[in-house]
Amino acid sequence: MMIDFLTYLITGTLVGLLYALIAMGFVVIYRASKVFNLAQGELVVFGGFIVWWMVVNTGLPLWIGIPLAFAAAAVFGFLIERIFFSKLVGESVFAMVMVTIGLLILLRGLILVLFGPQVRPFPIVFPLQPIFIGDILIPRALLYGGIITIVVGLALSYFFNRTRPGLRMTAVAEDHQVAVSLGISVKRSIAFAWVLGALLSTLGAIIYLSGKSLNFLASEIGMAALPVALLAGFESIGGVLLAGVIVGIIQGLVTAYVDPAVGAAFGTVVPFVIMLAILFIRPTGMFGWKTIERV
Amino acid sequence: MDPAGVFAVSFARDEALIRTRGQWIALALFILLLFLLPYLVGARVMAVANVMLITAVVVIGLQINTGYAGQINLGQAAFMGVGAYTTGILASKLGLPFWLTIPLGGAASALFGFIFGLSALRIKGFYLALTTIAAQSLFHFLVLNLPTSWVGGSNGISLEPAQLFGIVFDTDRSLYYLCLVVAIIMTYGAFGIVRGRHGRAFIAVRDDDVASGMMGINVVKTKAVAFLIGAFYAGVGGALWAYYVRFVAVDQFTLFHSIWFIAMIIVGGMGSIVGALVGVVIIKAAQETLVTLGPGLVQMFPALGGELVFATMNIFLGGVIAAFLIFEPRGLMHRWSIIKRSYRLWPFPY
Repeated sequence: MMIDFLTYLITGTLVGLLYALIAMGFVVIYRASKVFNLAQGELVVFGGFIVWWMVVNTGLPLWIGIPLAFAAAAVFGFLIERIFFSKLVGESVFAMVMVTIGLLILLRGLILVLFGPQVRPFPIVFPLQPIFIGDILIPRALLYGGIITIVVGLALSYFFNRTRPGLRMTAVAEDHQVAVSLGISVKRSIAFAWVLGALLSTLGAIIYLSGKSLNFLASEIGMAALPVALLAGFESIGGVLLAGVIVGIIQGLVTAYVDPAVGAAFGTVVPFVIMLAILFIRPTGMFGWKTIERV
Repeated sequence: MDPAGVFAVSFARDEALIRTRGQWIALALFILLLFLLPYLVGARVMAVANVMLITAVVVIGLQINTGYAGQINLGQAAFMGVGAYTTGILASKLGLPFWLTIPLGGAASALFGFIFGLSALRIKGFYLALTTIAAQSLFHFLVLNLPTSWVGGSNGISLEPAQLFGIVFDTDRSLYYLCLVVAIIMTYGAFGIVRGRHGRAFIAVRDDDVASGMMGINVVKTKAVAFLIGAFYAGVGGALWAYYVRFVAVDQFTLFHSIWFIAMIIVGGMGSIVGALVGVVIIKAAQETLVTLGPGLVQMFPALGGELVFATMNIFLGGVIAAFLIFEPRGLMHRWSIIKRSYRLWPFPY
């Protein structure tokens, strides 16, 4: 009983950290460009397919294939900025949200056309056998992923809060027009955001999919990560780690204890219920900026 | 702007929608054409026309909510689903006639929309989009997990055709007239709403909710009313859909459908009822063309098989949304009014 509970707790934490890594994609793109990227899940799947293509399809070893995949993802992120977002500087929230939705659907179609609807085997990046601490079983990919997430999270948090280029991008998230008038290149900031977002998504795909199978339905993780970004407040990278752990544990425990009791897949809507609760109680999340509105 | 020589001498004239005799004649001919359509076209076009009329009702509601009041709504399909399910249950379990179930479907949907609209009193923009996405997935979860005897679960609900004075609406032609009459009433109502004080409050809140609050507009109430009206239209559309397909299932109302609805108002033009209608016709026609061309495309690219139509549909939808927002953000109605203005001013361009 106790062992089960601890297992759920630890797995929940690690899954939550995975959500946090995906949610970091949202936050990074928001922090540097003021765009809420709803296509995050599709970016993850696209990154996954690039890795699959580099490693499985062309047969390159992991240590060459994965860096190549990251390079391809960076180029892809840059292209997205060039094609879509460099023309939308200063546009309304509606336009930004809708363009990311357009991107979401477009990517889904492109993935189908480029890679086909078949389920593909994803390369085994992390060894499959789980780690045992006493009787508690921990999936190895999630554990390593969790550690990577924490390191990446702290590094990004330092970058955006303490370094000059990072703070410059933060100004872009505050207001495009003000940033431009301060002499900050909004386009460069947005380009950097998308490159970083695509890199994080590819990293997320590797941790999420290692040793599993891949098709376009894996994009659901993007929706699961939304409440994490929301709970943290869209502006906080460090907060995402904490929010991810909270959401992961709640979802893990609900799936383990509530679902068998009510006989419904309640765990699948938990992220959305959490999201609604946050929106009703505290829309800015735990660490979000509070904006003061004037006429 | 009006053609030369047309000017208003009273407030009522100034506010009139139809300003010249030419416009009266054009409208009358257009409506006559709509009523004669079943005798002019084949069965396939008839079916498409029915779906267009139903979609038009839903999208006009979305236009009022999103285009006029500025409340981003990605849950319109869920609101439509609530209307369709309510109608399905009322008609199949209680045997109510359609002229009661359609308004009741609209009312149930309005209530559902109102609850989610309440969240709009604290949040706006992107956060509101998230709430409506949550509405969408909660709708799915509820329908699939409530007891099957209530809402039919994954089996859906079947219902009898609508009847009035012995006329049974079970052919495409008779349903066309039912949908057409409802669509005309709803369109007329929409023009009334957006020109009246509610409509002007919507526009004020959309343009700047802080400023409109200071001018004495009750912002919270206005936002809630916008959701109420938008969801009511969706519910009526859903009710028509239930009678048209005579089978209600949860996968007829997905997030994907909601995004199509938004795409329609983006293409037609935000903040224009006519724009909503134009968007519906253009997008639905394009969809139909893609579906018709689908089998031919599958033969050209056999590797993709049945998924190809789905994939091209995705690329088309995503491409249209992005392209319009980047290149023609105010939609086709804006382009149309530029053209109209330029020929009325001709040869004096400015």
